[in-house]
Amino acid sequence: MGRSVSGEKRKSATNVINPTRREVLALAAGGLAAVAPGLADAAVPAGQLTWGVHISLAPTWFDPAETPGLITPFMVLYALHDALVKPMPGGPLTPSLAETVSAAEDGLSYDFVLRDKAVFHNGEPVTAEDVKFSFERYRGASYEAMKARVAAIETPDPRRVSFKLKEPWPDFLTFYGSATGAGWIVPKKYVEKVGDDGYKKAPIGAGPYKFVSFTPGVELVFEAFDQYWRKSPSVKRLAFRVIPDEATRLAALIRGEVDIVYSIRGELAEELQRTPGLSLKPVNSPATFWLYFPDQWDQKSPWHDERVRLAASLAVDRSSINQALTLGLSKLTGNANVPDFFDFYWSAPAPPYDPGKARQLLTDAGYPRGFEAGDYYCDASYSNLGEAVLDNLQAVGIRAKLRPLERAAFLEAYGKKSLKNIVQGGTGAFGNAATRLEATAVKGGVYAYGSYPDIDQMFQEQAAQMDHKRRATILQKIQQVVSERTMFAPIWQLAFINGAGSRVGESAFGLIPGFAYTAPYEDITLKSG
Amino acid sequence: MRRYIARRIGYCLLSLFLLSVTIFLFVRVTGDPTTLLVEPGASQADLDAIRHQFGLDQPLWVQYGIFMTSLAHGDLGQSFYYRTPVLELYLSRLPNSLYLAAVAMALSLLIGVPSGVLASVRVGRFWDSFGKLFTLLGLSLPSFWVGLVLILIFSVYLGWLPSSGAGTPLHLIMPAFALGWYFAAAHMRLTRSSMLEVLGSEYVKLARLKGLPQSLVIAKHAFKNALIPVLTLAGINLVIMVNVATVVEVVFAWPGIGRLLFEGVTFRDFPVVQGVVLMGGAMIVIVNMVVDILYAVIDPRIRLGS
Amino acid sequence: MAIQTEVLVLPPRTPSRLASLWRGDFPLIPALILVVIALVAIFANLLAPHNPEIGSLTARFRPPFWQTGGSTQYLLGTDQLGRDVLSRLIFGARISMVVGITAVLFSGVLGTTLGILSGYLGGWVDQVIMRITDTWLALPALMFAIFLAAIVGPSLWNIVLILGITYWTRYARVIRGEVLSLKEREFVRLAIVAGCSKRTIMLRHILPNVINTAIVLGTLELGVVIIAEASLSFLGVGVPPPEPAWGLMLSDGKQGLMVGRWWLTVLPGCCIMLMVLSANLLGDWLRVKLDPQLRQL
Repeated sequence: MGRSVSGEKRKSATNVINPTRREVLALAAGGLAAVAPGLADAAVPAGQLTWGVHISLAPTWFDPAETPGLITPFMVLYALHDALVKPMPGGPLTPSLAETVSAAEDGLSYDFVLRDKAVFHNGEPVTAEDVKFSFERYRGASYEAMKARVAAIETPDPRRVSFKLKEPWPDFLTFYGSATGAGWIVPKKYVEKVGDDGYKKAPIGAGPYKFVSFTPGVELVFEAFDQYWRKSPSVKRLAFRVIPDEATRLAALIRGEVDIVYSIRGELAEELQRTPGLSLKPVNSPATFWLYFPDQWDQKSPWHDERVRLAASLAVDRSSINQALTLGLSKLTGNANVPDFFDFYWSAPAPPYDPGKARQLLTDAGYPRGFEAGDYYCDASYSNLGEAVLDNLQAVGIRAKLRPLERAAFLEAYGKKSLKNIVQGGTGAFGNAATRLEATAVKGGVYAYGSYPDIDQMFQEQAAQMDHKRRATILQKIQQVVSERTMFAPIWQLAFINGAGSRVGESAFGLIPGFAYTAPYEDITLKSG
Repeated sequence: MRRYIARRIGYCLLSLFLLSVTIFLFVRVTGDPTTLLVEPGASQADLDAIRHQFGLDQPLWVQYGIFMTSLAHGDLGQSFYYRTPVLELYLSRLPNSLYLAAVAMALSLLIGVPSGVLASVRVGRFWDSFGKLFTLLGLSLPSFWVGLVLILIFSVYLGWLPSSGAGTPLHLIMPAFALGWYFAAAHMRLTRSSMLEVLGSEYVKLARLKGLPQSLVIAKHAFKNALIPVLTLAGINLVIMVNVATVVEVVFAWPGIGRLLFEGVTFRDFPVVQGVVLMGGAMIVIVNMVVDILYAVIDPRIRLGS
Repeated sequence: MAIQTEVLVLPPRTPSRLASLWRGDFPLIPALILVVIALVAIFANLLAPHNPEIGSLTARFRPPFWQTGGSTQYLLGTDQLGRDVLSRLIFGARISMVVGITAVLFSGVLGTTLGILSGYLGGWVDQVIMRITDTWLALPALMFAIFLAAIVGPSLWNIVLILGITYWTRYARVIRGEVLSLKEREFVRLAIVAGCSKRTIMLRHILPNVINTAIVLGTLELGVVIIAEASLSFLGVGVPPPEPAWGLMLSDGKQGLMVGRWWLTVLPGCCIMLMVLSANLLGDWLRVKLDPQLRQL
C-alpha cells in the first residue's frame, strides 16, 4: 500500500467521520429537534434562500466536463455536483465522493475507493464507471495537460478506481480535485441517454442540490437532495438571480428581495456594514495583485535597477488604499503572486510605506528628481486601485500616465507581452504556488516577460520532486528570491466582499478557505423564526 | 409598384449583407475572446484548446463561410459563454425587450404628445414651458442616472416598487419610465410641428371660419391629423428603443436583448454579438422598408420619383 | 400745397434670416449658460482651486461646505480619492465642451458632406451612401462605441472619434432630404444651365443653404453626444480615468447615491443637465426660427 493522502493533514487513511458515529449524531439531532421545537430542524429542509449574483450564469456550468478555468462555475458545481476530492472546510483536497485516496510511493498511480452512500439525484449509485467516464469526457481547462499525463484508468470493481500516470506528477490531485472539473462526477448512463445538450437542459449530479429550472441570464433554481451522503441540506430551495449592477444588487439585498449578494465593493460595502440587519461577509480570495515592471529585463531602462523597483514598492501606501477601497479587509502581503492559503505558500510581511526612503533610493539610482515612467497599464475594472497607486508613485517622482484597458484587451496585451513600463496585474486562478510562479516568474510563463536562470532551474527541480516537504523548500526559496529581487511590487490579496441578509443563519462564506462563494451548500441554514 | 417594392427589398437585402460582413469583421477585430474564458494566468495550451473549440483558429474566410451558411439555415451559431444556440437566447429575451419598449413608448407618448399639443397651441406660457421643460429634461439626463435615482427613491426609501428584475407589472414601471422619458422629447417636437402645420392648413382655417369653437377644432380636426406622423415616428422609434435600452437594462437587471448584447461584447462572445446585431439590424432595416413601401402606396409621387 | 410724396427708400432686404434672430423670444438664459460653460472651460486653469487629478486619501468624501464636515477648502466636497469636486467640475467643463463640440463638428462635417454628395449626385453614389447609412443605423450606436473603445482603447480623442463616427447618420439623412428639394429650385437650375461644375454648385449654392439645418442639428446632437459620453462611462468604456469628465464623475459617484453622498452625482448631473438642456432649448429655438417645417428632426 502506498502513502495515504488526505488533504494537508497527515492522518490515517480516512479523515472522514465514521459512518456509524454520523448516524448517531443525526439521531441525536433529530431527537433534539423533536424535543425542542424552537431549534432549526436539521432533518427536514425548509424555506428558500435567494442569491443576487454579479455575473451571468451559463448552462455550461452545469456540466463539469466543460468547466472553463474560471472560479465562477464552481458556484454552481458545489450545489449540483460532487467530486472525488475537492476543497472543503477540512482541507483543499478533502475526499468527498471518494472515501479513501492513496498515492503510490512511486507517484505513478492514485487509488480511490468510492463511498457506499454516494448516489446521483436519480437514485443511481456513483460507480467507478462514472468516474472513468467523467474523466474521459472532460474537455475544460487544462484537459490536454491532464489527458496527456494519465496513461490509463482502471476500474477493478464498481467501488474502486485507479489512475495510472505516465510519469510522476505531484500536482495530479491538485489539478484533478480543485483546478479542473475532471474530478466532478456525472452519471454515465444518464449522459449517454440524453446527450450533452440534453444534459445541460436537465443536469443530474451527486451534489446536495437537484436542478429544478433555469432561465438563462435570469434565474436558476435548485432543490435540496435529501439523500446527499454528507448531510441533508437544511434549506429546501436555492434561487440564484443575476443582477449585474452593484448598486442594484445592494438595493435588492436591503429590500429583502435577495438574501445573499456577491461582490459589493467600495462605498457600497460601507453602506452594507452600516445597515442594520445586513452583515458584511468578506472572503479571502485567491486573487493577488501586483505591479509588474516589464522593462526590468532591459538594461537601458530605469527599471533594470533594483533600487528603482524597490522605490516604487516603498512608495505605495498600502494600508490607506486598503482602508479606502476595501474597508481594510484585503490582506497586505509581501508575497506578490501567491495567496496565503495556497500549497507551498511563502509568507512575508508587506513592504513598509516609506516615501522618504523611496526618494532616497531613486536619488541613489541617479534620479534625484524622479523620472518619466511612461504608462501605467491596468484592467479598467480595477482602475480605482490604479488611480490610488499612481498617486503614490507620482508623490515620490515616478511620473506615469494611467492607461486603463478594457478587461479583454488588457489580458490579451499582457499575455502577448506588448505592455511596457508599469503593469498592474492580478490573477485569481486556482492551483498552488508552483502554478502561480509558472505563469508569472518562470521562463515561458504567460505573464513572464523575462526570467532568471537560477529561478528557472529551481522550478524544473521542484516539478519532478515527489516529496512534498522538499518541494515546499524549493518553492519557498523561489518565492523568496522573487521577492528579494523585487521582480514585482506586491499590492494585496483582494478581499471579496459579500453581503448577507437577516434571514440567513449560516451563510457558508469562508467555510472553505479561499473559496469566494458560499459553500458547502449543505451547511447553509436559515434563521429560525 | 411591384418594381418599387422589389427594388426596396433588394436594397434591404443588400443592407443586411453589408451588415453581416461589417459585424463579422468588427467582432473579430475587438480581440481574442479566449482570454476572457479562463482565469488570467491559464496556460497557452488551454487558450489554444478553447480557440480550436470555437473554430477561431481557422482562416477568416472559412469562419465567414461557416457563419453565412449557418445563417442561411436560420442558425445564428452558439454562444461561447452560454454554449446554447444564439437564436434561442435571442428569442427568449426579445419579448422582454419588446414589452419594455412598448410600455416605454406608451409613456413617452403620454408625456410627449400633450406637451407638444400644449406647446403648439400656446394655452398659457406656464403649461407650455412646463411641458417643454419636463420633456427636454428627459433628454438631458443620462438614463442610467435616472434609473438609479428612481431605484433609490421608489425602491429603497419608499419601498413601493421592486428594485430590479422582471416578472410583475410593478417591475416594469421604473425601467419603462427611465427609457421612455428620453424619447418623449422627440415625440413632443414632432407633435408640436405637426400640429402647427395642421393648424395652419386650409382645412382648419375653414373649420374656424365656420365658427367652430377653438377647442373642438383642435381636438377633432387638428389633433387627429397631426398624430399620423407622430405615430409613424413612434413605430420606428420602437424598434430603435429595443436596441438602445441597454443601459436601462443593465441598471435594472432587465432580461432583455440589450443586456444580452452588452454581456456579449464584454465577454467577446462573437456569436451572440453577431446574432443580436444582425437581428436588431434586420428589424430596423425591415421596418424602414415597410414604412417606405407604405408611404409609396399612399403617395404615388414617391415611387414614381425615385 | 404741393403734395409731398415721400419716397421710401427701403433698406436692402437682408439675405440672411439669421439677422432677424436677435430679438423677442431668443432664449437668453440657455445661451448665457452655454457661454458661461465655455468660459469656464477656457479659463479652467485659473478658476480651479485644486488639481483635479490628484487627491489625498485622507480627505475622502468631504461634503460640500454648507454641510457638517465640509470646509471652504473643498467648496463642493471631495470624491472617493480625495479630489476636489469643484475643480473636477471646472475641468470637466473643458472635457465636455471639447468632446461635445469636436464630436459634433466631426460628425456634422462627415454627415453633411455625405448628405450633400448623396442628395445632389444621386445615382449609385446615393445608393451606396444610403446603404451604408442604413447599415450604420442598424448598428446600435452604443454598442458600436463599445466596440471601438475595445479596439482602440479608451482615451479622450478616441471617444471623440467614436462619437463622431457613430452619430453622423442623422445629418446625412436630413441634409440629403434638404438637398433633394433644393435641387429643384430655380437658382440651382440656373447654375446648372450656366455651366457651373458640380463641385461649384455643391459648394457655392447647396452648402450655404443647408448650413442652417446642419447647425440646428448640431446643437441638438450636442446634447445627445454628451449623454452618450456619460452612458459610455457608465458601461466602462468612456473617457478614461483620471480625466474629470462629467459623465465619468457621474458613473464613479453613482454608488455614493446609496450612501447619501449626493454631491458626487447630483452636481455633475446638474452640470450635464444644464449644458444639454441649454443646447436643446437653443437648438429648438433655432429650428423654429430657421425652418419650422423641419419635421424630420
